[in-house]
Amino acid sequence: MHLYIHIPFCRRRCTYCGFCSSAGLEHRLDAYVRAVCAELAALREDVRIQTGRLSSSLDLRPTIFLGGGTPSLLSPAQVGAILQAASALVPLEQAEITLEANPGTLMGPVGRSPCATSLAYFRSLRTLGVNRLSLGVQSLHDPTLRILGRLHTAAEARQCVDDASRAGFQAINLDFIFGLPGQTCADWATTLDTVAAWDINHLSLYSLILEEHTALFAQVMRGEVDLPDHDTTAAMYELAMERLAGAGFVHYELSNWARASRGYLSPRWPSGEIEVPLPVCHHNVAYWLNVDYLGVGAGGHGHIYPERYANLTDLDAYLAAVQQGRRPVEVVTPLSPSDLAAETMFMGLRLVEGVRFAHFRCRCGVEMEAVYGEVLRELEGLGLLERTTDAVRLTNRGRMLGNQVFASFL
Amino acid sequence: MHEQDQNRIRNFSIIAHIDHGKTTLSDRLLELTDTISERERREQLLDAMDLEREKGITIKAKAVRMNYTAQDGTPCILNLIDCPGHVDFTYEVSRALAACEGALLVVDAAQGIEAQTLANVYMAMEHDLTIIPVVNKIDLPGAHPEQVAQEIEDIIGIEREHIILASAKEGTGVPAILEAIVRLIPPPRGQVHQPARALIFDSHYDAYRGVIAYVRVVDGLFPSGSRVRMMGTGVEVETLDLGVFRPAMMPLNQLATGEVGYIATGLKSVDECQVGDTVTLAAQPASSPLPGYRPAKPMVFAGLYPIDSNAYGELREALDRLKLNDAALSYQAESSSALGFGFRCGFLGLLHMEIVRERLEREYGLDLLITAPSVEYQVLRTDGEIVTVDNPADMPDPGVIASIEEPVMQISIIVPSRYIGQIMDLVTGKRGAFETMEYLDPQRVLLKYKIPLAEMVIDFYDQLKSRTQGYASLDYALTGTQESDLVKLDILVAGQPVDALSLIVHRQSAYAQGRELVEKLRKLIPRQMFEVPLQAAVGSKIIARETIRAMRKDVLSKCYGGDVTRKRKLLEKQREGKKRMKMVGNVEIPQEAFMAILSLGEAKEKEKK
Repeated sequence: MHLYIHIPFCRRRCTYCGFCSSAGLEHRLDAYVRAVCAELAALREDVRIQTGRLSSSLDLRPTIFLGGGTPSLLSPAQVGAILQAASALVPLEQAEITLEANPGTLMGPVGRSPCATSLAYFRSLRTLGVNRLSLGVQSLHDPTLRILGRLHTAAEARQCVDDASRAGFQAINLDFIFGLPGQTCADWATTLDTVAAWDINHLSLYSLILEEHTALFAQVMRGEVDLPDHDTTAAMYELAMERLAGAGFVHYELSNWARASRGYLSPRWPSGEIEVPLPVCHHNVAYWLNVDYLGVGAGGHGHIYPERYANLTDLDAYLAAVQQGRRPVEVVTPLSPSDLAAETMFMGLRLVEGVRFAHFRCRCGVEMEAVYGEVLRELEGLGLLERTTDAVRLTNRGRMLGNQVFASFL
Repeated sequence: MHEQDQNRIRNFSIIAHIDHGKTTLSDRLLELTDTISERERREQLLDAMDLEREKGITIKAKAVRMNYTAQDGTPCILNLIDCPGHVDFTYEVSRALAACEGALLVVDAAQGIEAQTLANVYMAMEHDLTIIPVVNKIDLPGAHPEQVAQEIEDIIGIEREHIILASAKEGTGVPAILEAIVRLIPPPRGQVHQPARALIFDSHYDAYRGVIAYVRVVDGLFPSGSRVRMMGTGVEVETLDLGVFRPAMMPLNQLATGEVGYIATGLKSVDECQVGDTVTLAAQPASSPLPGYRPAKPMVFAGLYPIDSNAYGELREALDRLKLNDAALSYQAESSSALGFGFRCGFLGLLHMEIVRERLEREYGLDLLITAPSVEYQVLRTDGEIVTVDNPADMPDPGVIASIEEPVMQISIIVPSRYIGQIMDLVTGKRGAFETMEYLDPQRVLLKYKIPLAEMVIDFYDQLKSRTQGYASLDYALTGTQESDLVKLDILVAGQPVDALSLIVHRQSAYAQGRELVEKLRKLIPRQMFEVPLQAAVGSKIIARETIRAMRKDVLSKCYGGDVTRKRKLLEKQREGKKRMKMVGNVEIPQEAFMAILSLGEAKEKEKK
C-alpha cells in the first residue's frame, strides 16, 4: 500500500516551480489537515480499497509520502494527526514514511509549532514515526538560491542536514537542481563533491526544466537570466554519474542515487541484484514500477488501475468537497490495457535495472515481447536499449536520451 | 430596358490601400442606401471569408446593387464592385475596373498615397474611369487631410475642390460621396440593340448551382433561362438563373445593358468560366469578345506535400475542390525523392500561395509542407530544345544547358526620400537595375527598377518593409525575361541530396547563399540522435559545410507526486512534434527548413544593425 499526501502550502513560491501550491495561506493549514484526515477516513470506507487490490506482488515496503508544497510547514501535531488517520490504510510500523522539508521553514522557531529549532522539529517527527527526510537544498550557491526564490542559504541547509542526522534520521535525501542560472560544470563538480562528504544516503538530481507561467521563465525570456546550454547540462549529468559513483552512490534511477550507510535496515532492493540494503525511496520506486497508489489532499494524484485520478487543485473547492462528504476528485483518466503497458514501460525504464519481463507479465497480464517486440528491436538497433536475461534496460546512451525511448512506447 | 434607363445606373469601384478604410466605407454606403439595415450589418460585410477578415484584405471581388434617390429626386441604381487590393491580384483588379465607369479613391488621412493605390489609380485612368478622391479617417488624431489632399492634387492632378474629406467610421462626408457618385460618374453607354455581351469580373463556385459568374452587361440584354456562351473558353451552357446582389442574390427576369449582376451557370469549375472572359447569347452571339481577356497565369511555383504521405489522396481532393473557386491556382502531381508524392502548384504570387496553403490546412485539416517558391525558367539546351523548368530539381545537367532565361519584373517603390540609400542597397543586392526616380513631393520619391522575379519571391517584401520602417510601398508587373548566369545549388543532408531543398541562384552569389543556407539549416533542423553533416554543392563541388551535432541529453524532469498523466502528456507532445516533421532518410526535418531560403539575408541585416 502506497499513499501520497499533498501539502500545497508554501511560505513563498519558488521562481521555477510550476506545481500546485499557494503561498500565504498558512492560516488555513489547520482546516486543511482536518480535511485530509476526513478524506483518509472516507477512503478507508471505499470498497475497492478494502479488497486489498493495492497490495503489490513486489517486495516493497508500504509507504507514506508527505510531499508538497512544503510539508515542513506542518506542526508535529498536524503530522501526527495525518499519520494517525493514515494508519487505517497503511501499517505505520512497517512503512517508509517520508516528509519533504524546506530548510527555509526550519530556521528559527518552526512555523506555528512549539519546536524552537529544526533539531527539535526533526526529533518530534522521529517520535511520530517519520523515518525518511527529503530536504530541498537545490543549490549550494547563495546568489543562485536567491534567484530561485528559496528561503534559505547553503549554510542553513547544511545545518538542517546535520540536525536531521543528529535527530536520528537514517534515510536522508537531498534534492538538487543542475543547469541553474549561471551554473558552470566546475560549480556543479564542487557541489557534488561537497555533498558527497555529508552524512546522507540519497540524492535526487534534476535538470532544471523551465516551466511556462513561472517567474523564472519570464526572467529568461526577458534575457535577465542566462541558463547553461544543452551540451553543458548533458555534461553536468555525466559529471554527476561519475563523481557520485566515486563517492559510493549507486545510480538506481535516472535522477536518483543511493548509497548504503550504517544503521540503515531495510528489506533487500526488490530485484535482489544489489547486495547490500540500499536506501532507495520505496515510495518513488512504487511509481516507477507502475503499481497502484493513493493520492490524498488538494492536487494529489492517485493510480488505481484501470484509472488515474487527480484531486481538485483549488483549495476552497477541495475543502468544500470533503466537507460535503464527496470524493474531492477533479479528473479521472481511464486507462486501457495498452495505456497500462505503455506506462509500465516508460516509468519502469527510468530504473537503471530496467523493466523485468516477469514484472511486466505480472502487471500487464501479457508478455512484453508480444506487445513491444518490434519497438524493442528498433531501440536496441539504435543502441538505446539492451536486454539482460530477465529484463530490458536503457544503455548508457539511452539514459541520456530517455525521452526518445519513452515516447516510442506511446 | 431603354437607353434612358442606363442613365440612372452608376457602376463604381473603390480603390484603397489595405487598412485605408474601404470596408468601412462600403458598409456605410450600404447602410445609407438601406441596402442592409444596421441590425443586419455584420462587421465587414463584404469580406465573407475568415481568412480575408484576418489578413484584412479582400480576396474575392463582390458586387452589390444599391437603390439611391439623389438630392434632385432622381432614383438611381448604384453598383458597387469590390475589388482586391493586393498586387498578386492585379489582373482581377483590372477586370473589376473594366466593369466600372468610375472609382472612389480612398486615401488614409494619416498615411497618404501608397504605391499599390497609385498603380490601381493609373489602371483606372487607363480604363477612362472618373476618379472621386476621398480623404478618409479625418477623425484620427494623426490625420493631416489638407496635406494628403494636396498630395492627391499634385500626383493625380485632381483639383482640391473635387476631393471629399470623410470619416467612414463616423459617417462624415458619406452623403457627399453618394451625391458625387451620381453627379460625376458617367452612366454606362452600352449598345442596347447589339448582340449581348457581358464581362465576367469574378466568380464563385456554389455546390448547388455550379459556378456563379459575376457580370457587367456591356451591350444588349440577357433574358433569364437563355443559353449562353463563354467566348474565350467556348463553353456553352443553359443559365439556371440570373439576377442582382442585394447583397444576397435576387433573381430577375433579365439583365439589361449597363447592369451588374450574376449568372448561375451550373458549370462545375471556375476554369470554364474565367475572369475576363465575355459571355454572349448562344442564339445570337456577338461577333467579337470584349478586349482584355487573359487566362490566369501563375508566376510563382512551389511543391506542396502532405506531412503524412498517406494524406496524398486527401490533398488531391482538397486541391480539386479549391480549384473550383480559384482559376489562378494550377497544380500537377510531382514526386520528390526526399518528400514522396505531392503537387507542383502555381500561384499568382506569394500572398496567393500563403492563402492557398492556409485554406488547405484550415478548411481541409491537412498538415502540409511547402517548398521554397521558385519561378519559371526557360532553358535552352545545347541540342536546341527549349524546356520550361519551374522546379529546381528538374534543372537539366549543366553540361547540356546553353542558356537560361528568367522572368523579370518592373517594380515601383514609393518611399520617403531619406530611405533612398536603403532601397538602392536592397535592390542592387538582389540583381535589380535602376530605371527612374521621380519626386512626388519634397519628401517622397517614386523609384522604378527592373529585378528578376526569382529575387523578389525571396524575402524582398519583408526586407523592403524592415529597411524602411514600413514606409515603403511596392507595386510590380511582369515585363519579360532576361538571360542570366544561373546555377543549381544543391543541399545534401547526411550525404544525400535533398531535391526539395535545391535552389536556382546566380552563379556569383552561389557561394554566399550556400554558406548562409547550411548555416541556417543547422539552426532549424533539431539535433538528431546522431551527427548530421549538411553540405551545399554546385554540381559536384561542395561549397559549404556545417554539422548538426548529435543530441546528447533528453530526459524528463521530476515526477511531481505521482502525476504520471502530466509526464505522459509531455511525452505525447514530444511525439506530436515529431509527426510535424518530415522524415528524409533517417533525418527529421521540420517544415521551416524547407522555407529557410525565404529568410536568408535576415541574419546579415541584423548584424549590420
